[in-house]
Amino acid sequence: MLTLIVLLPLLGFALNGVLATRLGNTLWAPAGGTPADEHDHGHGHGPAVHLGHKLVALIGCGLPLLSFVLVLQMLGQLQTMGYAPIVETAYEWASVGDSRFEIAFYFDRLSAVMALIVTGVGSVIHVYSVGYMAHDRSFGRFFAYLNLFLFFMLLLVLGRSLLVLFVGWEGVGLASYLLIGFWFDDLANARAGKKAFVTNRIGDAGFLLGMFLLYQTLGTLDMDRINAAFAFTGSAAPAVGASLVGVLLFIGAMGKSAQIPLHVWLPDAMAGPTPVSALIHAATMVTAGVYLVARMSGIYMQAPEASMLIAWVGAGTAFFAASVALVQTDIKKVLAYSTLSQLGFMFIALGVGAYGVAIFHVVTHAFFKACLFLGAGSVIHALGGEQDVRKMGGLARRIPITFVTFAIATAAIAGLPPLAGFFSKDEILWFALASTRGGSVWLWGVATLTALMTAFYMFRLLWLTFIVPSHMEPKVEHHVHESPLSMTGVLMLLALLSSVGGFLHLPHFLQPLLPLPAVDPHLHHLEKPLIVLAVLVALAGLAAAVYVYGAPASRAQALQARFAGIHRWLSGKYFVDELYEAAIGRPLVWVSDRVFLRLGDRRLIDGALNGMAALGQRCAALLSRVQTGQLHLYAWLVLIGMIATVLWSWRHV
Amino acid sequence: MLLALAVALFAIGLLGVIVRRNVLVMLMCMELMLNGVNLSLVTFAQQTGTTVGAVLVFLTFVVATAEIALAIPIVLLLVRRKHTLDLSTYNELNG
Amino acid sequence: MLDGLLLHLDTLLLFVFGVCALVGASLMIVLRQPMRVAMALISTMVFLGGIYGLLGVHFIAAFQVLIYVGAVMVFMVYVIMLLEVREGRGPRYSQWVWPGLIGAAALVGALVISIWAGLPQVGTAAKGAGFGIQSFAVSFLRDYWLHFELTSVLLVAAVVAAMAIIRVNRRADEKRRHG
Repeated sequence: MLTLIVLLPLLGFALNGVLATRLGNTLWAPAGGTPADEHDHGHGHGPAVHLGHKLVALIGCGLPLLSFVLVLQMLGQLQTMGYAPIVETAYEWASVGDSRFEIAFYFDRLSAVMALIVTGVGSVIHVYSVGYMAHDRSFGRFFAYLNLFLFFMLLLVLGRSLLVLFVGWEGVGLASYLLIGFWFDDLANARAGKKAFVTNRIGDAGFLLGMFLLYQTLGTLDMDRINAAFAFTGSAAPAVGASLVGVLLFIGAMGKSAQIPLHVWLPDAMAGPTPVSALIHAATMVTAGVYLVARMSGIYMQAPEASMLIAWVGAGTAFFAASVALVQTDIKKVLAYSTLSQLGFMFIALGVGAYGVAIFHVVTHAFFKACLFLGAGSVIHALGGEQDVRKMGGLARRIPITFVTFAIATAAIAGLPPLAGFFSKDEILWFALASTRGGSVWLWGVATLTALMTAFYMFRLLWLTFIVPSHMEPKVEHHVHESPLSMTGVLMLLALLSSVGGFLHLPHFLQPLLPLPAVDPHLHHLEKPLIVLAVLVALAGLAAAVYVYGAPASRAQALQARFAGIHRWLSGKYFVDELYEAAIGRPLVWVSDRVFLRLGDRRLIDGALNGMAALGQRCAALLSRVQTGQLHLYAWLVLIGMIATVLWSWRHV
Repeated sequence: MLLALAVALFAIGLLGVIVRRNVLVMLMCMELMLNGVNLSLVTFAQQTGTTVGAVLVFLTFVVATAEIALAIPIVLLLVRRKHTLDLSTYNELNG
Repeated sequence: MLDGLLLHLDTLLLFVFGVCALVGASLMIVLRQPMRVAMALISTMVFLGGIYGLLGVHFIAAFQVLIYVGAVMVFMVYVIMLLEVREGRGPRYSQWVWPGLIGAAALVGALVISIWAGLPQVGTAAKGAGFGIQSFAVSFLRDYWLHFELTSVLLVAAVVAAMAIIRVNRRADEKRRHG
């Protein structure tokens, strides 16, 4: 059954990939017409979905939905069996000596939660894409890639062994590359895809080293067995340091979940279609790193140094990203940096030992971030491709459903009760302060400051996009329209989930598997006041945003002028990309060009080969001077040959 | 001693081929070489008492005759083209 | 005394013939006119024939004079007469005189050393009995008939070659006349 859950999206990929792409479109296109050639938003529509598209959409959305239903069923089964983990071996991959590598699937509370999010939010985004990509000429290819992504992501969350997880890990990286560069006609998109993949790969190096170490000392890569092995302390503990393995695995998580310094690919990944940004870069793929650390909690509980590193890297990323988001002008970029920041929060939670809380935040973040991204997609669709926030405004009345859902999701991410974000973020802040496994007031301070910034920039975004008077160009303004039901229906569903999702009490559900860390008893009395403080912070952010942006534009501009230096620094994203380019990119290119290409390849290798050929030619030219054409010379050479033969015969006869 | 004579005849013949310019003289020197070889064959035959050497000499006569019969016409044809018997001027087959 | 001389007559004649043959050979490379060179060669060949006779291979001596002098050299003389009428006086030696001399000397030295080192010294022996024409013919056509046949194949090849030359010659002539 688990295998079936994993394989259904793969089937969708195969079917859509083979039959619905350009090659197969002629098979399914009706007599009525072929899909519009260019990806155009919002001009004269015929039927938005053609017959060929309907079948593609049916396959592409139906199979993930089926997977979701099956996951629910398995959850029921799990419940009846008292939450004992279900293990299903699908295939024996290799048997080398004593060790066996199997493709096995593992279903327990954590996998259930992750699988539900992946299939649930995934299916919903698939449905949204039916409306969003309706006029794109590569409709079939899009759904094929989306299903491929789902397949790999399910491998990742359902795998029992780190090896299966890694296959899924790499696979989602591939799917991400394919989807970011989906409109590859534009070179910038292809470059963004490449950047994502390469940056991921750098993290994977650490991941692989961690896996090698684990396999060498423990002889197995099954995650449940590894956790059990690390539960022993003292003489029975594994021979490898938990912190070392922990740090190495975390490096992999850094690449996949875009923590600094490997965060540079996520903002560029916004070059892909908006459903891609929602699914991959908000809800699922980037949370794979969080899942990995949570799953390997057995290791991290024995590794205080690694946990501290995780917590502070998370805090740094959260603060860094939030500060950059304050001044971004592209609606998707703001959301991208917001994702980075929220991922940082998740890692803070992981670093202080509150693994269940981090997963809870993953779930709520999936709800409201997907809603935000899809809402942004709806706005872009309505405006015919415009993404610059400075050219929006006044959309609240024109596209009301989008506005309301966007507002609900914004309030959720800011942490206003009783929406979902409030519950998860508040728990993170509490454990950041009070956990005995690394909580400190500094961590809490950075996190709270980041929460303030989050509220500010999210409400700024909401105001600039919807509420301020319109800055749109007239012809764009003329065509503003609400999105079709396939898109707005999803938005409404996600907004609903963002509202009530907090009441799921996931940390409590995951407690038997991922116990919450102990809390410093001296700080216990601060729990309630902290909640109030968190709400106040959110409201303060809202108020500040309204103050700056709800007023005439001059106030915002004056603020910008006063802090011009900081503004320049932030809008340049701290110039990290430029730093990488100068410190790593250019020297590498220089070495490749000067040393390997010119010196190594051209001079040494080609030179050696050409040199040998030239040597042969020169020898031939030299030797051919014997042939003068004069018979006397030849006869003389015969004489010399005879003498030589006679002399030779003295020696050898 | 006879062998030394044979060697000397052969060497002189080869020397003649190397040294003389005239085509016909070169041909005659080649005949001299053959004669030297014949002498050595006969000497060996007489020393060992077998008849192999004599047989070979006999066959050498035949071959030498055939060779001359063909070499002369070739020389004639060559000379007709270049109008000189000086072999050192024939160097088209160089390089 | 005459007995002693007669006893060693063979050796003496052998010596004289040998020296004369050598002289004839040397003259070949020195004389300027081809006709004189031909004469020197003929004399060398005749002396060689004498040597063969002294060695007891009478029929080979006969064939030497018959075939070599009688056919080959006569042919050469004809050709010299044919061609030399148009020839003037040219330089005698090529540019390879000195290398040739050195090389020839080296060759003679090497071969003589080989002979002295390797072979037992045997003088002349009048073993005429083993080389009678009868025994020669028998061994020729019984033991060495394969060589005989191969030589006849070679002669066939020579005939074919001669015909080819004639044909090429005729075609070249026609092309020159009509082309």
